[in-house]
Amino acid sequence: MAPVSIKDVRKYYGALEVLHGVSIDIADGEFVVLVGPSGCGKSTLLRMIAGLEAISGGTISVDGEVVNDRAPKERDIAMVFQSYALYPHMTVAQNMGFSLKLRNAGKTEIEAAVAKAAKILGLTELLGRYPRELSGGQRQRVAMGRAIVRDPKVFLFDEPLSNLDAKLRVQMRTEVRELHQRLGSTTVYVTHDQIEAMTMADKIVVMNDGNVEQVGAPLELYDRPANAFVAGFLGSPAMNFIDGTAHRGDGAALELAGGARIALGDPGRTLPEGPVTFGIRPEDIVLDPESGTTARISVVEPTGSETHLVAHLADREIVLVARDRLTYRPGDEIRVSFASGRGHFFDPGTGARL
Amino acid sequence: MTDTTATLPPGNRNTSSPGSSFVRTLYTYAALFLVASIVLIPLVTTALGGFKTLGDLRTNPFGLPAEWQWANYLEILFSERYWRMLWNSLVIGFWTTFLTLAVAAMAAFTLAHVRFFGSGYLLNYFLLGLMFPVATAILPLFIRVRDLGLLDSYWGVVLPQVAFGLGMSILLMRNFFRNVPNELFDAAFVDGCGYIRFFWAVTLPLSRPIIATVGIVAFVQSWNNYIIPLIMLTSESNYPWPLGIMSYRGEYGTAWQMILAFITLTILPTVIVFFAAQKHIIAGLTSGAVKG
Amino acid sequence: MTTALQNWASSARRKIKENARPIRREEPIGPARWPVLVLFMPPALLLFTIFVILPIGEAAWYSVFNWNGYGRPEEFVGLRNFEVLFRNNAFRQALQNTGLIMLVSIIIQVPLALWLAMLLARKIPGVVGFRLIFFLPYVLADVAAGLIWRFVYDGDFGLFAAIFGFFGMETPYVLADRNVAIYAVLAVVVWKYFGFHMMLFIAGLQAIDKHLLEAADIDGASGWQKFRYVTLPLLGPTVRLSIFFAVIGSLQLFDVVMPLTGGGPSNSTETLVTFLYSYGVMRMQVGFGSAAGVVLFVICVVLAFTYKRVLMRND
Ligand SMILES: Nc1ncnc2c1ncn2[C@@H]1O[C@H](COP(=O)(O)OP(=O)(O)OP(=O)(O)O)[C@@H](O)[C@H]1O
Ligand SMILES: [Mg+2]
Repeated sequence: MAPVSIKDVRKYYGALEVLHGVSIDIADGEFVVLVGPSGCGKSTLLRMIAGLEAISGGTISVDGEVVNDRAPKERDIAMVFQSYALYPHMTVAQNMGFSLKLRNAGKTEIEAAVAKAAKILGLTELLGRYPRELSGGQRQRVAMGRAIVRDPKVFLFDEPLSNLDAKLRVQMRTEVRELHQRLGSTTVYVTHDQIEAMTMADKIVVMNDGNVEQVGAPLELYDRPANAFVAGFLGSPAMNFIDGTAHRGDGAALELAGGARIALGDPGRTLPEGPVTFGIRPEDIVLDPESGTTARISVVEPTGSETHLVAHLADREIVLVARDRLTYRPGDEIRVSFASGRGHFFDPGTGARL
Repeated sequence: MTDTTATLPPGNRNTSSPGSSFVRTLYTYAALFLVASIVLIPLVTTALGGFKTLGDLRTNPFGLPAEWQWANYLEILFSERYWRMLWNSLVIGFWTTFLTLAVAAMAAFTLAHVRFFGSGYLLNYFLLGLMFPVATAILPLFIRVRDLGLLDSYWGVVLPQVAFGLGMSILLMRNFFRNVPNELFDAAFVDGCGYIRFFWAVTLPLSRPIIATVGIVAFVQSWNNYIIPLIMLTSESNYPWPLGIMSYRGEYGTAWQMILAFITLTILPTVIVFFAAQKHIIAGLTSGAVKG
Repeated sequence: MTTALQNWASSARRKIKENARPIRREEPIGPARWPVLVLFMPPALLLFTIFVILPIGEAAWYSVFNWNGYGRPEEFVGLRNFEVLFRNNAFRQALQNTGLIMLVSIIIQVPLALWLAMLLARKIPGVVGFRLIFFLPYVLADVAAGLIWRFVYDGDFGLFAAIFGFFGMETPYVLADRNVAIYAVLAVVVWKYFGFHMMLFIAGLQAIDKHLLEAADIDGASGWQKFRYVTLPLLGPTVRLSIFFAVIGSLQLFDVVMPLTGGGPSNSTETLVTFLYSYGVMRMQVGFGSAAGVVLFVICVVLAFTYKRVLMRND
């Protein structure tokens, strides 16, 4: 267990800079999720923490010590790979005990450690099997078992659940969380699945194109995204963005390019004035048959627990989510309004929150 | 050939101290250059030796020629026998490759796609051929070719070469053809396409990689084959180059400068083609081995 | 060739499976099968039977006759050809040499190839060039390689002469010395074929998931430990393949030896095939030569089964 501190870390592949100075502080025992679109540099950063990738600039420290020049084995970290990377020629027990064997631990000591980890993960029955004889979920557990046998200071996970089917993924999500609660080790977890990030993290780091966009607790990021990228990345269906001109004063409203005005209700704070990108989450658009703006429905998607409506609001496509079972059909007209105070305003140029 | 980091994760690059990685690199290059020189020195001295006089060769086998003797090479290049034997090799190689591809592809297709009684046994029958070197049956083979009246003809070399290459070729092709999805066949069948049409219109066009592999292996083996032509051919005008080079050496005895020039000129086509098409040739020769 | 055996095994297994599950095309629906059977199978079957299977069978038949190849074999001699064969010193030498070549190929050539493959798997400049150079001897015809080395070893003109002369020593005539000649041949065999084995290993190394080596890094393995516990076990199939080729190659060795020594001096570099050629083909002793062929055949069968038994147990 140890805090991890990443300071202004950069990564070059030749002349190509893929990480542009990333700084993150991770407290002792914290569960941090790195999330971002494909290719944004999450794996690279994680591998730099692990020591698998050279650090081109900046420092990474574990437990207060700079580890830039240390080999992976000297960093006291454990890593779970997306492909699990189980040694195919070793049994489950051998896989889990390999790191201890390399450190010349005694046979009984290895067996005890493996048995303990196997018990935690429910792998006791499978210890004699080879990886090819296991299901995906079991392999996943062995990969975690291999990590916890080491009792490392830091756990690193690189998209460990992405090879599992949807149902198993939800189950393993809980298991990983429980494991963390039980062991209390500092954990860095990479995923591109924002639901995984929201449900698992103590702290989310949203990355984009080699930069950190925002760091914070899941709901904090959800409710107060620092910019349009974070706002759009978290939440499903994604937030609606509408370009227009904000008018404050009595009857605050958003004026669209075509001249249509949409009332914004009582904002509860002072609004920005002038051109904005207005963002509103699908669940914050409400049906308002009396005073709402008219929109035409183009798609209705019932999911069972809720209904997603895709509608055209003055030429703009918006998505809204209603808890009720609605019986609309494509082509129907509805009237919608925005829940007061739930709108987000972003600078149309920079995307920064206003 | 690009993902060569497999054995050395980047971790080692940054974690071992700069000194030790420098020593490692030095050691790697030293070893590679040593082995490369053992490979290349005989080849280079052979090529250079062809430019020397016999006396020059005796006193100075390694260095550049004292005087470049173009005459050695020119004499061979203007001789009929050099071109004649390359031509013989080419013709034999062409027919061997062509027949191997045609015969093996048809058999492999049938074994891969047509269900019939005994197809499993038939495949094993062909695979039997993989286990035994030509030499085990070389005498009966000679007698058979003699009795067929094919001795000292191209066909006496081509047909046994094709036959001994069939096991491997059928195996490689059948494994490839099996991967053509069944749905494709069903779709073609619904369109009114029979087996033979399917073979022409679907299987062959989809199988270019395996045809290239099998073709390269067949041609290279035929081009370099020594024992079958040695036994089947008697007149020098039919000799492919491995035989020609041996008889040349027999004639010129210790006139090494001529022999070296001759060797150089005969392996030149191989070397040129190898460097020009190295990717395909290496892939063909090794993947043929691995996939088989 | 490789893998004839592996395929044998797996196709047998597959066959069982195929028989178990009903296949749609076995029912009468589907295009007519007879045209394709009649047109596509016979060429391969005929060629293969006439030029491969029948000669192998005939070798066994001829081996019990004394026959010069003309007329019909009539002088039945039972196993006498074999008796003479095993009493023949040149044949015993050939057997011994073939064994030696096999051994050297396995314990020197295969490790050498693996070592070079590991060096060339590093991502350093020039790697592709080195691979090409190392593979080059394999592409050259054996006969050409043999002749080139004949020159290298030549005591009067060759490179050996120059090297020994440089140190002021008397030049050995390696190919004429019956105690040394076989080692000279062995060196050429290694020179000629190591590149092929190296390519097999490079392909094998590239097929190893690099995450496994990273996982080993994280588990704390040193470079040697990674090789010992991860790379080498995972290369198992490639090592077996490489050994298989080394063995088959040793049994067939002929083309390289002919230009170098032709089996001499005084039979000291005879291999099974050079023996068969000089004593069977050259002298047209069809019965005797066929007996040598049958011995070669039996060795192949025994090795194939041993190989299947011992080396491929866990494949
Ligand atoms: N060896 C390399 N050489 C050059 N560029 C690389 C290399 N490895 C990664 N990159 C680049 O670095 C960037 C970050 O890659 P990284 O693997 O960290 O992405 P990621 O966020 O993990 O994406 P994913 O969600 O797809 O796994 C990508 O643009 C990628 O193309
Ligand atoms: Mg990644």
